[in-house]
Amino acid sequence: MTRSLRVPSSNFDNRFREALSLWQEEVVQLGLVDPVTTEMVRLRCAEHHDCHT
Amino acid sequence: MESSIDEFFRNVLGERTAVADQLENVHGLAWEVVDPALLALCRMRVAMLLDYQYELGISKIDLDAEKISSLSQWSSSSLFTERERSCLRFTEEFVVDVSSIPDSSAFAVRDHLGDEGFVNFVNALLVVEQRIRLQTVWEKIFQEVST
Repeated sequence: MTRSLRVPSSNFDNRFREALSLWQEEVVQLGLVDPVTTEMVRLRCAEHHDCHT
Repeated sequence: MESSIDEFFRNVLGERTAVADQLENVHGLAWEVVDPALLALCRMRVAMLLDYQYELGISKIDLDAEKISSLSQWSSSSLFTERERSCLRFTEEFVVDVSSIPDSSAFAVRDHLGDEGFVNFVNALLVVEQRIRLQTVWEKIFQEVST
Protein backbone atom coordinates (compact mmCIF):
# COMPACT_ATOMS: atom_id res chain seq x y z
CA MET A 1 0.00 0.00 0.00
CA THR A 2 1.29 3.43 -0.94
CA ARG A 3 2.29 5.69 1.93
CA SER A 4 3.14 8.60 -0.30
CA LEU A 5 0.49 10.97 -1.60
CA ARG A 6 -1.76 9.32 -4.17
CA VAL A 7 -2.82 12.66 -5.64
CA PRO A 8 -1.83 16.25 -4.84
CA SER A 9 -3.74 16.94 -1.63
CA SER A 10 -4.10 20.64 -2.39
CA ASN A 11 -5.83 19.87 -5.64
CA PHE A 12 -9.43 20.35 -4.57
CA ASP A 13 -12.15 22.93 -4.29
CA ASN A 14 -10.71 26.10 -2.73
CA ARG A 15 -13.85 27.01 -0.80
CA PHE A 16 -14.06 23.51 0.60
CA ARG A 17 -10.39 23.47 1.58
CA GLU A 18 -10.74 26.80 3.34
CA ALA A 19 -13.94 25.67 5.10
CA LEU A 20 -12.20 22.53 6.37
CA SER A 21 -9.34 24.62 7.73
CA LEU A 22 -11.69 27.08 9.43
CA TRP A 23 -13.68 24.27 11.04
CA GLN A 24 -10.53 22.59 12.35
CA GLU A 25 -9.18 25.91 13.62
CA GLU A 26 -12.35 26.54 15.60
CA VAL A 27 -12.27 23.03 17.07
CA VAL A 28 -8.65 23.21 18.25
CA GLN A 29 -9.33 26.59 19.86
CA LEU A 30 -11.91 25.07 22.19
CA GLY A 31 -10.59 25.23 25.72
CA LEU A 32 -12.51 22.51 27.51
CA VAL A 33 -9.78 19.89 27.17
CA ASP A 34 -6.28 20.64 28.41
CA PRO A 35 -3.63 21.35 25.73
CA VAL A 36 -1.55 18.22 26.40
CA THR A 37 -4.51 15.86 26.02
CA THR A 38 -5.70 17.80 22.97
CA GLU A 39 -2.30 17.45 21.32
CA MET A 40 -2.03 13.75 22.16
CA VAL A 41 -5.42 13.11 20.61
CA ARG A 42 -4.56 15.23 17.58
CA LEU A 43 -1.31 13.32 17.01
CA ARG A 44 -3.06 9.97 17.43
CA CYS A 45 -5.73 10.96 14.93
CA ALA A 46 -3.09 12.23 12.50
CA GLU A 47 -1.24 8.94 12.74
CA HIS A 48 -4.43 6.95 12.29
CA HIS A 49 -5.40 8.97 9.23
CA ASP A 50 -1.82 8.88 7.93
CA CYS A 51 -1.97 12.68 7.92
CA HIS A 52 1.33 14.53 7.80
CA THR A 53 0.06 17.92 8.86
CA MET B 1 -34.44 16.88 8.73
CA GLU B 2 -31.04 18.45 8.13
CA SER B 3 -32.08 21.55 10.03
CA SER B 4 -32.99 19.41 13.04
CA ILE B 5 -29.51 17.88 12.98
CA ASP B 6 -27.97 21.34 12.74
CA GLU B 7 -30.14 22.32 15.68
CA PHE B 8 -28.92 19.29 17.62
CA PHE B 9 -25.31 20.35 17.11
CA ARG B 10 -26.10 23.93 18.09
CA ASN B 11 -27.76 22.74 21.28
CA VAL B 12 -24.78 20.58 22.19
CA LEU B 13 -22.23 23.23 21.32
CA GLY B 14 -24.12 25.95 23.17
CA GLU B 15 -22.07 29.14 23.25
CA ARG B 16 -19.50 27.69 20.87
CA THR B 17 -21.38 29.09 17.92
CA ALA B 18 -18.27 29.51 15.75
CA VAL B 19 -17.72 25.75 15.74
CA ALA B 20 -21.36 25.11 14.86
CA ASP B 21 -21.20 27.75 12.10
CA GLN B 22 -18.10 26.19 10.57
CA LEU B 23 -19.50 22.68 10.82
CA GLU B 24 -22.67 23.73 9.01
CA ASN B 25 -20.63 25.55 6.40
CA VAL B 26 -18.24 22.70 5.67
CA HIS B 27 -21.07 20.16 5.68
CA GLY B 28 -23.05 22.27 3.20
CA LEU B 29 -20.03 22.58 0.92
CA ALA B 30 -19.42 18.83 1.03
CA TRP B 31 -22.75 18.41 -0.79
CA GLU B 32 -21.78 21.02 -3.36
CA VAL B 33 -18.40 19.63 -4.35
CA VAL B 34 -19.50 16.02 -4.68
CA ASP B 35 -22.41 14.62 -6.69
CA PRO B 36 -25.12 14.68 -3.97
CA ALA B 37 -26.66 11.41 -5.13
CA LEU B 38 -23.29 9.70 -4.78
CA LEU B 39 -22.58 11.26 -1.40
CA ALA B 40 -26.06 10.40 -0.14
CA LEU B 41 -25.50 6.79 -1.08
CA CYS B 42 -22.17 6.69 0.72
CA ARG B 43 -23.52 8.51 3.75
CA MET B 44 -26.30 5.97 4.02
CA ARG B 45 -23.74 3.17 3.91
CA VAL B 46 -21.74 4.88 6.68
CA ALA B 47 -24.91 5.14 8.78
CA MET B 48 -25.61 1.45 8.21
CA LEU B 49 -22.12 0.43 9.24
CA LEU B 50 -22.21 2.62 12.35
CA ASP B 51 -25.78 1.53 13.08
CA TYR B 52 -27.00 5.08 13.19
CA GLN B 53 -30.74 4.73 12.66
CA TYR B 54 -31.61 8.40 12.60
CA GLU B 55 -29.36 9.13 9.64
CA LEU B 56 -30.89 6.21 7.76
CA GLY B 57 -34.21 8.01 7.72
CA ILE B 58 -32.93 11.18 6.14
CA SER B 59 -31.53 12.11 2.81
CA LYS B 60 -30.34 15.23 1.07
CA ILE B 61 -31.97 13.91 -2.05
CA ASP B 62 -34.46 11.22 -2.93
CA LEU B 63 -32.63 7.96 -3.33
CA ASP B 64 -34.14 5.09 -5.23
CA ALA B 65 -35.93 2.84 -2.72
CA GLU B 66 -34.79 -0.34 -4.41
CA LYS B 67 -31.22 0.88 -4.33
CA ILE B 68 -31.45 1.67 -0.64
CA SER B 69 -32.77 -1.77 0.18
CA SER B 70 -29.92 -3.34 -1.82
CA LEU B 71 -27.22 -1.10 -0.44
CA SER B 72 -25.63 -3.69 1.82
CA GLN B 73 -25.32 -5.96 -1.25
CA TRP B 74 -23.86 -3.28 -3.51
CA SER B 75 -20.93 -5.48 -4.56
CA SER B 76 -23.18 -8.10 -6.13
CA SER B 77 -26.21 -6.02 -7.06
CA SER B 78 -26.67 -4.92 -10.65
CA LEU B 79 -28.39 -1.74 -9.49
CA PHE B 80 -25.11 0.02 -8.83
CA THR B 81 -22.77 1.53 -11.40
CA GLU B 82 -19.03 0.93 -11.36
CA ARG B 83 -18.58 4.50 -10.17
CA GLU B 84 -20.90 3.91 -7.24
CA ARG B 85 -19.27 0.59 -6.44
CA SER B 86 -15.81 2.11 -6.32
CA CYS B 87 -17.00 4.85 -3.98
CA LEU B 88 -18.94 2.43 -1.76
CA ARG B 89 -15.93 0.12 -1.50
CA PHE B 90 -13.75 3.07 -0.52
CA THR B 91 -16.41 4.25 1.96
CA GLU B 92 -16.55 0.90 3.72
CA GLU B 93 -12.78 0.70 3.98
CA PHE B 94 -12.65 4.30 5.17
CA VAL B 95 -15.08 3.55 8.01
CA VAL B 96 -13.52 0.25 9.03
CA ASP B 97 -9.82 1.18 8.86
CA VAL B 98 -8.97 4.50 7.28
CA SER B 99 -5.22 3.96 7.45
CA SER B 100 -5.31 0.70 5.47
CA ILE B 101 -7.28 1.57 2.37
CA PRO B 102 -5.69 -0.36 -0.50
CA ASP B 103 -4.25 1.54 -3.45
CA SER B 104 -6.60 -0.34 -5.76
CA SER B 105 -9.64 1.09 -3.96
CA ALA B 106 -8.26 4.62 -3.93
CA PHE B 107 -7.19 4.56 -7.56
CA ALA B 108 -10.55 3.16 -8.66
CA VAL B 109 -12.29 6.19 -7.15
CA ARG B 110 -9.70 8.51 -8.66
CA ASP B 111 -10.20 6.94 -12.07
CA HIS B 112 -13.94 7.63 -11.89
CA LEU B 113 -13.86 11.08 -10.30
CA GLY B 114 -10.52 12.51 -11.42
CA ASP B 115 -7.79 13.87 -9.13
CA GLU B 116 -9.76 16.83 -7.83
CA GLY B 117 -12.98 14.85 -7.59
CA PHE B 118 -11.18 12.17 -5.61
CA VAL B 119 -9.82 14.63 -3.03
CA ASN B 120 -13.20 16.36 -2.80
CA PHE B 121 -14.88 13.01 -2.27
CA VAL B 122 -12.48 11.88 0.47
CA ASN B 123 -12.86 15.15 2.35
CA ALA B 124 -16.65 15.15 1.95
CA LEU B 125 -16.71 11.59 3.24
CA LEU B 126 -14.62 12.68 6.21
CA VAL B 127 -17.12 15.44 7.02
CA VAL B 128 -20.24 13.29 6.81
CA GLU B 129 -18.61 10.37 8.65
CA GLN B 130 -17.33 12.53 11.50
CA ARG B 131 -20.71 14.23 11.77
CA ILE B 132 -22.43 10.86 12.15
CA ARG B 133 -19.87 9.71 14.72
CA LEU B 134 -20.30 12.94 16.69
CA GLN B 135 -24.08 12.57 16.67
CA THR B 136 -23.82 8.97 17.80
CA VAL B 137 -21.45 9.66 20.68
CA TRP B 138 -23.17 12.80 21.90
CA GLU B 139 -26.63 11.26 21.81
CA LYS B 140 -25.39 8.31 23.84
CA ILE B 141 -23.73 10.59 26.37
CA PHE B 142 -26.88 12.64 26.79
CA GLN B 143 -29.02 9.55 27.14
CA GLU B 144 -26.74 8.28 29.92
CA VAL B 145 -26.68 11.64 31.65
CA SER B 146 -30.46 11.95 31.54
CA THR B 147 -31.11 8.48 32.99
